[in-house]
Amino acid sequence: MTPDKINRLGIVAVALFTLLAPWILPVFVDEFWVDIYSEMLIWSLLAASVNLLFGYVGLLSFGQALFFGMGMYGVAIGIAKIGLGFWPAFGFGILLSTTMALITGFLAVRLTWHYFAIITVVFSLIFYFTALSWKPLTGGDDGLSFTMPPIFSFGEETAISLTDPTVQYYFIVLMVGACYALMGVVLKSPLGRAFRTVKENDMRAALIGLNVYMIRLTAFVIAGFVAGVAGALFAFFGRYASATYMFYHVSGEAVVWAIIGGAGTLLGPVVGTTLLITLREELSDVWEHYLIVVGVIVIVVVIFAPKGLGGLWMGMVNRIFDKSANGNQPKEGGE
Amino acid sequence: MSPTQILEIEDIEKHFGGLAALDGVNAHVESGKLTAIIGANGAGKTTLFNVITGILPPSAGRVKFLGQDITNKPVHEISKLGLARTLQIKSVFNGMTVRENLWIAAQSRDGVFKPFQRASASSRANQVADQLCEELGLTQFANQEAANLSYGDIALLEIGIALATEPKLLLLDEPICGMGPAETEQTVEKIRNLAKRIDIVIIEHDIEVVFEVSDEVIVMAQGKVLARGTPAEISTNAEVRTAYLGDDDDA
Amino acid sequence: MELVIALGMNGIVWGLIIALIALGLSIIFGLLDIINIAHGDFFMVGTVLAWFVLDTTGNYWLAFLIVPIIGFAMGVVIEYTVIQPIKNAAALSIVATFGLSIILQEGVRATFGAAPTRLVPPIQSTIQMFGLEYEVYRLFAAAVSIAAILLFFGFLHRTKMGTWMRAVRYDPETATAMGIPARKIYMITFALGFAMAALGGVVAAPITTVDFQAGVDILPFCFMAVIIGGLGNLEGTVAAAVMLAFFEGVMASFADPTIARIGSLCLMSIVLLIRPHGIFAGATR
Repeated sequence: MTPDKINRLGIVAVALFTLLAPWILPVFVDEFWVDIYSEMLIWSLLAASVNLLFGYVGLLSFGQALFFGMGMYGVAIGIAKIGLGFWPAFGFGILLSTTMALITGFLAVRLTWHYFAIITVVFSLIFYFTALSWKPLTGGDDGLSFTMPPIFSFGEETAISLTDPTVQYYFIVLMVGACYALMGVVLKSPLGRAFRTVKENDMRAALIGLNVYMIRLTAFVIAGFVAGVAGALFAFFGRYASATYMFYHVSGEAVVWAIIGGAGTLLGPVVGTTLLITLREELSDVWEHYLIVVGVIVIVVVIFAPKGLGGLWMGMVNRIFDKSANGNQPKEGGE
Repeated sequence: MSPTQILEIEDIEKHFGGLAALDGVNAHVESGKLTAIIGANGAGKTTLFNVITGILPPSAGRVKFLGQDITNKPVHEISKLGLARTLQIKSVFNGMTVRENLWIAAQSRDGVFKPFQRASASSRANQVADQLCEELGLTQFANQEAANLSYGDIALLEIGIALATEPKLLLLDEPICGMGPAETEQTVEKIRNLAKRIDIVIIEHDIEVVFEVSDEVIVMAQGKVLARGTPAEISTNAEVRTAYLGDDDDA
Repeated sequence: MELVIALGMNGIVWGLIIALIALGLSIIFGLLDIINIAHGDFFMVGTVLAWFVLDTTGNYWLAFLIVPIIGFAMGVVIEYTVIQPIKNAAALSIVATFGLSIILQEGVRATFGAAPTRLVPPIQSTIQMFGLEYEVYRLFAAAVSIAAILLFFGFLHRTKMGTWMRAVRYDPETATAMGIPARKIYMITFALGFAMAALGGVVAAPITTVDFQAGVDILPFCFMAVIIGGLGNLEGTVAAAVMLAFFEGVMASFADPTIARIGSLCLMSIVLLIRPHGIFAGATR
């Protein structure tokens, strides 16, 4: 057993749990947790897009909700206003968010650090206010709801649609899984290593001949794509889109999930998102002002475990193996 | 210009506000010779390196590398042409392993925009990384994070990173700064060996080391080239002696 | 036309209040290198404390004295418990202050309640100017803001503490080497930033609503003032705040206020993108 194997086991365990959740969860808790779990998976993608930028390229985006919103509105406008079918609407949402990421990224990745964080907030606010005021298209405050078109239809009678809860659950699992697989592949590629050089030392990266700007932009577009898929899935999940989800608080929440889960690990965002949404679901019944607890947790994690729970876990695993194997294990985990 | 001139610097000026850090530098580096640049603090040596490598755009003048104009080219493109450098403050990828540090530098020659290929399948880069680990004596630390290395090993790793990019010209900015006597001796030896394969320009404060390793010395003062010649010529140059060797206690 | 004048004047008054708050944000950013997401909530806490003082004592004027002091004290506590431990991880400061923002908002919602409240201004008379009846309290609010801003600049340039603050901002290492207690300066700066935002809250409470979400609206505006004015350029921040608020106020008289807000945000992104180095240089040296 090596840390790498343990992490691979962890991924398998999460995947198995996810696949069997519709049977496992009802045994222990109320059935609506299956729904909540699929929602968590969607939100974890938004956190994963933050993580891809912050954990691997070193850019803290406080505006990922913009791409989430684009994915969401792409689906809702596609279906409700343009009359697209299921797949074209899905594609439209993702295309919209990826294009938006390309355009805003083209400008934003010129900046780094605080300035990058600020410009991403500013961009997301511009489109948030635009969505709010462009009522005929977006529905403004009220949002835009739609009727779910079928995924596939065979003749007049039979159709597969997300209105079937099982179909919906596995559709979400499939899409979220595909995104994580994509990120896993990219992070293990030469490009993934190039991401890390930019995070570690962008001057050195440029000096060895890496085009830092293009690397940052590529990461930004991939992150926008992932956030867009999340937004499109969320639109299908809720059958509606709303500007509320484009506000910077949503971006901020995603940052919190990613950092608490552990930036720089593939599954960290899943852990962070699951934990905090569970906390919300459980605590909000007990204490109306549970958010105070969330705020305290955020601060405590940032101070005492800046690498998040994922970082704590990796540290623990590595320590155990350093002791037993007396070797120098690569710290790169969670991939 | 003769083909042996690997680097040509023509009338380079660099102003910061009203201050002229480089005030019309003219110099060239000849292939096959180890060139050293010396000068007091603030003479503009590192600024010159920054202009050559594209980190700072010059206010005026031209830089030619292998006969090609590289003025105002981006840093990464200059690197791709075969010009590598180390920084005065040691600069490696701290959070990555020694092997990954060397690997990515080697891979930069083959391109990194390969999102669907496995990094570990890049056989050429793997080979270069392993070979350099061995050459530099870092094999035992290959899987350790660079941040955990000793100061001397980090300096070695930085040179290794530069070598992994297969440069034609290597700029070393105070490579032995901050090293103890033993480390200094080792590093000087390595540099001397390297100079047999690649052209090297070195900025160094330690005059003894400079006179020991270099074939050609360029003396800078106040953003200009004050003198140039063999170590023997420089050590007897009256102008240099008063302006630099005499003035500066550092030297 | 009268509407344009009225909204324009409201804009200037509002701009002066924002300038006061944004100055606090700017010194925290400049000295501690921290993006304070909770700064809007410091303002909000000021409005709530002002309401509380009025509610318990019946005297609003007391709030002008007490609330900044409470704000300063809260700033000291927060700097010590939250900011100090993360001083060396700049990116995380955004996350930590985001957590702080959640705590402050939810804390106020838990104690004060979720319903927005309006306060009766302590001065209720109006005055005839530019052909319209203008509220005297707004003029008073502008005067207090100007006085506070002048006082702040006086403090920065005329006192030893202010000089130290400028020194630490210019070059923390040299300043520390010269024996300036940088640690203490950071704390005072943060607390001062909080106090200024809280004072802004007291000034603004009677002309806006007291609401636990008030900070969310004001934060982007403060950032716009700081960025457009030029980071490190405190006078610029004041000018930008007043200009932006005036611009948005006038815009709002013939367009949707949201459109006006989009306009200022676009302006801010242009400044960020065109002068990143200029801004950067201003922040560090």
